[in-house]
Amino acid sequence: MQSAVTPQAPAVARGAPPVLSARGLTREYGVVVAVDGIDLELDAGDFLTVFGPNGAGKTTLLSLLGGRLKPTRGEVWVGGERLAFSDTAWRARIGVLSHQSFLYAHLTVAENLRFFGKLFGLTDLNERIPDRLEQVGLANRSDVLARQLSHGMRQRAALARALLHDPELVLLDEPYTGLDPHAASVLRGVLSSLKDGRRTVVMVTHNLTQGLELANRLAIQVRGRFGWYGERDAVEPETFEHFYHHVVEAGNA
Amino acid sequence: MTYLGQIYAIVWKDLLLELRTRERIAAMGAFAVLAGILFNYSMDQTVVRAQDIAAGLIWMTLVFGGLLGIGRTFHLEAQDGAFQGVLTSPAPKDAVYIGKVAANFVLLYLVALLVVGVFTLFFGLDLGEHPGMLALALALGSLGFVALGTLFSAVSSGTHMGETLLPILVFPLLVPMVIYGVSATGRLLAGRPVADIVGNLRMLGAFAVLALGVGAVLFRFVVEE
Repeated sequence: MQSAVTPQAPAVARGAPPVLSARGLTREYGVVVAVDGIDLELDAGDFLTVFGPNGAGKTTLLSLLGGRLKPTRGEVWVGGERLAFSDTAWRARIGVLSHQSFLYAHLTVAENLRFFGKLFGLTDLNERIPDRLEQVGLANRSDVLARQLSHGMRQRAALARALLHDPELVLLDEPYTGLDPHAASVLRGVLSSLKDGRRTVVMVTHNLTQGLELANRLAIQVRGRFGWYGERDAVEPETFEHFYHHVVEAGNA
Repeated sequence: MTYLGQIYAIVWKDLLLELRTRERIAAMGAFAVLAGILFNYSMDQTVVRAQDIAAGLIWMTLVFGGLLGIGRTFHLEAQDGAFQGVLTSPAPKDAVYIGKVAANFVLLYLVALLVVGVFTLFFGLDLGEHPGMLALALALGSLGFVALGTLFSAVSSGTHMGETLLPILVFPLLVPMVIYGVSATGRLLAGRPVADIVGNLRMLGAFAVLALGVGAVLFRFVVEE
C-alpha cells in the first residue's frame, strides 16, 4: 500500500534549496529520547501532517523545527539557512500556531497583532492587520479583548498572528484541539488557504481524519522516530486507520 | 530601529496590560500605604525622630512591596502561552529583557514616589534641601532592583515554589543596593550636602548597570529551553 519516501539530505546542488530540511534531528531529555534521528525535506507548497500517539515526540519535533528547542544532535535548515540559536533573525520566516493561542487575554485582537507585528519588525501594520483579520474572518472582532473571544475565534486570531509576517514555513501544533465541529470546520477552511503553493506547512495531530484532509505528505511518529513517511496519495483514507495502528504497534514492539 | 522598536513594543504591552488589570500596581501601592499607616502607629515620635529612621523604613517598604509586583512579572505571560509567542518572534532576548525591566521600572518608581509621599504625610518628613537627589537615589535603586527582580522572576516563574522562591533568591543580592540606598536617603533627610552622597549614588548606579548587564546576558538562558 505504501512505499516509504527516503528523506533526502539538504539540497545544495538544486536550484532552490528546500524550504525546510532536517537531518538526524535528535532531542534527548536525560535518558528519554523524545525525537530520534528524524530526516525530512519539504519544498514550497508541501503540507506535511505528522501523526502519532501521545508521547511520540510530535510537539518536540515541531519545537525543534521552529527553533524553539535546541536539538541534542542533528540540524535544521530553513530556506537553505541553518538554524543557529545565537541569531534569531530566521524566526521571521516561521509562523507557529499551537493549541494555545499565544495571545494576551487583556489585549484586543488588533492590539495583540500590533504587538507581535512590532516584535517581527513590521512597519505596514495599519494595512496588514485588517488584511489578516479579513483572511481569518475576524474583521469585525478587531477591538474585542482576546479573553472575550470563543475558543474557535481565538484560534483564528492566533492564526492571524502566526501569519501576520507572511511566513514561508507554518508550524501547526494540534490546532483543532478543543474546537467544536463548526469551529473546526471554519478553521479548516482557513488552513486550506495556506495551500497557496508559496508556503510549507507542518502540522502535528493525533486526529487522523483532520490530518489527512489537507496534507500532501504524511508521517507517523512513534517513540521519537518516523515509523512511516510518505506521500498522501500512497494511502487510502478508508484503510489508513488500520495502517496507522499497524505502524504504531510495530514501532512500540 | 527595529531593536528599539521591539523594546518599545514590550514596554507598551506591559504597561497597557497593567493599566487594564492593575493587579501589580494595586498590590504594591496598597502595601506601601498599609506599611506607612502601621509604622505611623507603631512608633512614638516623641521618642524617635522620623528623620532618623525614615530612610530604613522607606527602603524596606519599597523592597518588600516591590517584590509583590515584580514577582508577578511573568504571571500574565503564562496565560494561554503568550510568552511562547514572544519567544517564537525574532526579537532578541536581551531586547525582551530590557523592555520588561523598563516597564517594571516605571511601575516600581511610581511606587517609590508613593512610599515617599506616604511617609512624608504620616511622619511629616522634611525631604531636605535636595529632593531631586532623593528622587535620583530612588531611581537608581529601583533600576537595580527591577534589573535583578525581573531576571529572578523569570527563574522562579518556572518553578513549583514560584513567588515563594523569589525573595530567597533576590534578597541576598539586593543587600548592597539597600545599604547604599538607605545611606544616601538618610544623609539627604539629615540635611547633609550633596557631596556626602555622591559616592553612594555612584555605587547605586554601578549596581544598576552591573545588574542590567548580567540580566541581559543571562535572561536568554533562563527563558530558552
